[in-house]
Amino acid sequence: MNTVAADIAVRVVTTSGRWRVAHAVAVKELLDIYRDARFRWLAALTLLLMVCALIFSVDQVQRTDRDRAAAAQGDRQIWTAQGAKDPHVAAHFGQYAFKPQSPLALADPGIDAYVGSAVWLEAHKQNEVQFRAARDNPLSARLSSLSLAFVLQAVMPLVAIMLGFAAFSGERERGTLRQLLSLGIRPMDLLAGKGLAVVGVLVAMLLPAFIGILISCFMFADSSMFSLGDQVARLVWLALGYVLYLGGFAALALAVSALSRTSRMALVGLLGFWLINCFLVPRLMTDVVRNTLPLPTALEFRQAIAQDKKKTFGHDESHPAFVAFRDRVLKQYGVTRVEDLPVNFRGLSLREDDENGNRIFDRHFGTLQEAYYRQDLWRAAPGFVFPLLAIQPYSMGLAGSDTRGQYHFTSAAEQHRRAIQAIVSDDLIRNGRYGDSTYVAGPDLWARISAFSYRPPQAWWALSAQAVNLFVLLAWCLAAGLLAVYAVRRLRPV
Amino acid sequence: MTNMNVLVAAMRCEWRILRLDPALWLVLAMILGMVAYALYNGETLVARQAAAVAAANTEEQERLAKLRKGLADIQAGRVAPPDAPFRDPRNALFVGGGSAAANVALPAQPLAITAIGQSDLYPATLRVSAGSKDTFFFADEIANPAHLLSGSFDLAFVLVFIYPLWILALTYNLVSGEREQGTLALTASCPVQVRTVMAGKLLVRAGIPMLVTVAAVFAGLALIVGGTLVSAVQPLAVLSWAMIVYGAFWAVLAAAVNGLGRDSAYNALLLVAAWIGVLLIVPSLVNAWSEARYPSPSRAEMVLAVRAASVDADRERNAALARYQDEHPQETELQRGSYRERTLRRLAVQLAATAHSEEIMAAHEAQIQRQHALAERLAYASPALLMHDALAEIAGTGRSRYRAFFAQVDRFHQEWREFFISRAQAEQMLTAGDYSHFPQFSFADNPGTGILSRVASALIGIGVPFLLLAAMAARGLRRCRVVG
Repeated sequence: MNTVAADIAVRVVTTSGRWRVAHAVAVKELLDIYRDARFRWLAALTLLLMVCALIFSVDQVQRTDRDRAAAAQGDRQIWTAQGAKDPHVAAHFGQYAFKPQSPLALADPGIDAYVGSAVWLEAHKQNEVQFRAARDNPLSARLSSLSLAFVLQAVMPLVAIMLGFAAFSGERERGTLRQLLSLGIRPMDLLAGKGLAVVGVLVAMLLPAFIGILISCFMFADSSMFSLGDQVARLVWLALGYVLYLGGFAALALAVSALSRTSRMALVGLLGFWLINCFLVPRLMTDVVRNTLPLPTALEFRQAIAQDKKKTFGHDESHPAFVAFRDRVLKQYGVTRVEDLPVNFRGLSLREDDENGNRIFDRHFGTLQEAYYRQDLWRAAPGFVFPLLAIQPYSMGLAGSDTRGQYHFTSAAEQHRRAIQAIVSDDLIRNGRYGDSTYVAGPDLWARISAFSYRPPQAWWALSAQAVNLFVLLAWCLAAGLLAVYAVRRLRPV
Repeated sequence: MTNMNVLVAAMRCEWRILRLDPALWLVLAMILGMVAYALYNGETLVARQAAAVAAANTEEQERLAKLRKGLADIQAGRVAPPDAPFRDPRNALFVGGGSAAANVALPAQPLAITAIGQSDLYPATLRVSAGSKDTFFFADEIANPAHLLSGSFDLAFVLVFIYPLWILALTYNLVSGEREQGTLALTASCPVQVRTVMAGKLLVRAGIPMLVTVAAVFAGLALIVGGTLVSAVQPLAVLSWAMIVYGAFWAVLAAAVNGLGRDSAYNALLLVAAWIGVLLIVPSLVNAWSEARYPSPSRAEMVLAVRAASVDADRERNAALARYQDEHPQETELQRGSYRERTLRRLAVQLAATAHSEEIMAAHEAQIQRQHALAERLAYASPALLMHDALAEIAGTGRSRYRAFFAQVDRFHQEWREFFISRAQAEQMLTAGDYSHFPQFSFADNPGTGILSRVASALIGIGVPFLLLAAMAARGLRRCRVVG
């Protein structure tokens, strides 16, 4: 250690550049880290976990993609082969929309297991998305599940802590801090050097993870649906988020190390913070938010829709709204009997009912979605102190596996449902005769109604939704950095 | 001095030292705070589920009352029978298939507030109808998916994740601390076995957080659940055993690590690493592996089969109708769109869908069972997994009880279908008498569902590594280095 100190002193004298000091400190730190067997073990295990997570995710994503493609194709066949029938009956039979998985679920599967993957697009009704995969998994899946996001969010901060907890307190315990400062080295330069080394190691460990995701994305992503450029853009922003998250941990570790009397105290404090951040606060905030901003129950939600739907007529021809609509149409066409209309009145009334229903669905599903957003916003609010609360939604959001991504899909599916209804009612309006229950449409109409094709949102869409969390992460990183500066300014050599 | 006397003396000594340590009081405060909050939280969630069940039952009663009134009005001639079968309270197929569908719920057990288990993933009630099982089985409760992902702060979380840390916080430097202070040499110079002294210290340092946690849980339950606890003596006893066995595992782990003879910082790191391995790494690998080995079935497959079957049934119905109309040209009752034809068509489609969906769902269930069986076998690699599972079983929110519930729902669904489909097939209209004989569901907790044996084998699964570690600790402490 003496020789290192002497070496640094020489450099200071010869170049008198502060950058050179920081550089020398960083090089020395990197050498120390490299020589530390404990760290080599930790790094090797972390990288191994990353590899496992990636392998399992690729397997899972590929399987889901295969299932979805087969399902979409199968549903199309069933739809086009349904034979001649009343178009409105076909609309009741409906189509299914299957949710494509975002390729970046490789990095963060997010809420994918906790939301449905298929939605039935039937007449009159916006359905909820069905089949939450988590219902099929064993209870143990609720304890912890392997994904790159888990490694990056829970394991990597530990690496940062291990790299930084003894940075200053260790030097103080060995007596080398006094020597270093006596050489005229400014504590800030020491911090810069040590910070560079720690962040450098963290980035070096993040790189293989992100390169792995990038390669898997190029190999396995469905490029007909997901643009690869867009995935790369998402990945870059994702990486930035994780650098801020882990950079904050590195700064915090250095700060605590400078403030603590012993390395042991620094380690205990940092591990305590890690535990609170990764395990206690997420669950605590989940419950606080759930209890203070409650959601309606499924029954309440459906009853509220049914209440509003009662004001529309559906298939009830004695409903006052139906009578009013009929009178309006008759007046518009200047006839007295629906049989005399130049178009089919049944088709018109179905279209009118759909349009009424759509407004109701938009209002109720929109309100529910806003309630989710409000909960998410408040849950992430303490993120600048406990950054997991911010990185989690940010990571899911950029990976396309969050509540907003799900809502984007359900909205697109609902638009497709409405398009089916419009075409079918239009066919009835133009071709059916009022009172004739034998009118049927054929396969050409079914073929004219396209299959659901989903355009996932662009990276900027996900990013703009996550801008708040990005700022929160930035604030966390800056706050930790400032704490480190503050701690190092009052650094005591003994 | 006999070993017993040494042990007791060591325990007394340790208690006198420990009570001056602020860390102990911090740990005890955390135990009380977290156990209280977790139980309160569990109570909130269970109460919300109970409210949802009550609301669903009210809604069901209102629905049935409306149907009964509609039926009475038609029978008394006050209103004309509706021309659409799905609005007709006499139509067995449509009444059983939807408008009278029965709510079924799994009643909460007294200890339900201790572990949310799988109860947040299933709706509070399922609405069983005469349709195929897939039409009601997959209904979900509204929940923020991010909350399901994160999980709740329930007692099971506190006991599985945090409880070991309280024990480790007081025991990680059991021996190393004495060595670092120089007091270990002093102890070794006395005519007593160091091992016995250390056992006394361990009993106090691990025993206090364990006993206080058990006491806090009991007191909290008594306050919140109250009188009904009397009926839960057996699960309570099992719960306390689970807490003791799981706590003892972590305590001997700390002793075994101390037996390695390294310094306190090393022990702390190694114990944290063990905690991460047992609680995070092993469970995540177990889940990933069982999911990769027996992937969860694609429900889309079932959806498509049911849809294809209904298209086929529809087509067959068209052909049958065409033949019938050829043979009976005067008949108008069976015209397309008529009341009778719509009912018969719906019946045909429903029967076809049921046959297909049930076959596929059984195959899916078998695959899911294989995945679970593998995960349950692999769970023996992590005491945390066993404890987590055992706690949910004790609370009645675990796999076994849900499996029993779904089996009973299946039987009830059969009974319900039988009642309505047989009448629909015979083209019988429902009467007021039928309305009072609709099948009723009530869940019967069957002691033979193996919950106890599952919990027992989980506890044995934690007990085996406990014994191994205890042997290791005993060996390590015998050859313990006295000076640093």
